[in-house]
Amino acid sequence: MENLSKEDYKIQSFDLENQKLLKTALKDPGSVDLEKVSSVIVDQSLKDQIFSREAGRICYTIVQAEAKQSNGSVFRRNLLNRLQQEFKAREETRKRSTQEWVCLVSFICNIFDYLKVNNMPMMALVPPVYDCLFRLAQSDALKNEEEVDCLVLQLHRIGDQLEKMNAPLMDELFNLLRDGFLLQEDLSSMGRLLLLEILEFRAGGWTLSDTAQKYYYSEVTD
Amino acid sequence: MSEQQRYSYENDCKPDENRNKGSSRWSQCRKRGADGSLRKAEEDPGREQRCSRRPESFTTPESEGPVSRVKSWGDEVEAEEMRSDVRRDMHRYRRRILAVDVPQRDRKISSGSSDSRDSRDSKDSPGKGDIETDETVLVRRQKQINYGKNTLAYDRYIKEVPKPMREQGVHPKTPNKFKKYSRRSWDQQIKLWRVKLHAWDPPAGDLQQIEEIDLGEIMDFELDVECSADPDSQCASANTAALSLTEDSFTGTPKKMMKMEDAEMS
Repeated sequence: MENLSKEDYKIQSFDLENQKLLKTALKDPGSVDLEKVSSVIVDQSLKDQIFSREAGRICYTIVQAEAKQSNGSVFRRNLLNRLQQEFKAREETRKRSTQEWVCLVSFICNIFDYLKVNNMPMMALVPPVYDCLFRLAQSDALKNEEEVDCLVLQLHRIGDQLEKMNAPLMDELFNLLRDGFLLQEDLSSMGRLLLLEILEFRAGGWTLSDTAQKYYYSEVTD
Repeated sequence: MSEQQRYSYENDCKPDENRNKGSSRWSQCRKRGADGSLRKAEEDPGREQRCSRRPESFTTPESEGPVSRVKSWGDEVEAEEMRSDVRRDMHRYRRRILAVDVPQRDRKISSGSSDSRDSRDSKDSPGKGDIETDETVLVRRQKQINYGKNTLAYDRYIKEVPKPMREQGVHPKTPNKFKKYSRRSWDQQIKLWRVKLHAWDPPAGDLQQIEEIDLGEIMDFELDVECSADPDSQCASANTAALSLTEDSFTGTPKKMMKMEDAEMS
């Protein structure tokens, strides 16, 4: 048994049958039902927060494997279309379960990060990703730490890429974040901290200065 | 908020239209259905859905050129990939033709009507202004090329005749999408190319033979149509070289009796 793939792709949370399915898909995509594989992955990513943040890698590998084996893109197409359905239903998902909603956002952003087309980000995903981030920047979302946490995580990971794809939108998003930080009264102190950090992060060119790094991430010594 | 409205779109996910699973007589030789999945030989190619009558695309201020209405993400990304593939091909092609400053080898080419333009152009490297750069055109042409390459015949052809062994005018050559041609000229080249490729169709029993004999009578002698079982073939004249090549590869009955599934597996 190759334990390496379990560790690399974080698929421990899948049930054993599906773990087997995924491993086969990685090695021999032509031999499995790729629509089912994509479905299994999307389902799990909506339930499992850890997997939702890392699913991009396994998806990328399967896409590459299929392209190499048969020059096909069945998996990618099914994955994206299913993702599109989930995206379309995002507002209901958010009402039903904040957890599922943040998992969805993490997953979409992770896919954006990993699934490149000829080494370029998928343009088709730029509007939906921004859409999700703008939603998270609304006042009803900013007051939930869970949602702020999700928002800043995505900006850390893909903010610079998104900005390259559409700078004016990123400016607008950050206007909202500034407003929220300054004006919104029902933010938790952690929420405020997260916002301040991301504001500094972007201002520094998508990186944190050493002093800021120390401030936010070091243990308080006193 | 207005910013959100700008790109919160209502996406009715249209199911993939199965236009390309239509029942053309060559569809059994297609390796892949329109959704990309490899076809099984027994697949029923009869389904076709009606195309929507609404305009397929519109242009918005934010988009670079026409944006398709209610496109699925799967389709959009495939279209993106085609465009970026074509762009990448163009850069490679440009580098290649600019690098080749030496005069082309002097080769006599039989000038069949389809090749006359080719024979003139291939002698000089097209200057920068002479190549096709319109992305819409290039993508369209690439799609047509892909249809041809996505066939069992093409697979068999490239396995059977490696590039160094190919003879100009005799073996089918993929039309060069970067050369300037009129729409009609290009479409005709594609058509002729695809007909030529049919010579490498997998044998499929009696039906195939009947169709091939028809082709032999209708088509120009220049085309090396495979006249499989019949040694007294009518298309022997101009292309004995090509024919002997194809005949050599079909020695003995066992290969001819090969079923479709076996052909696909090879």
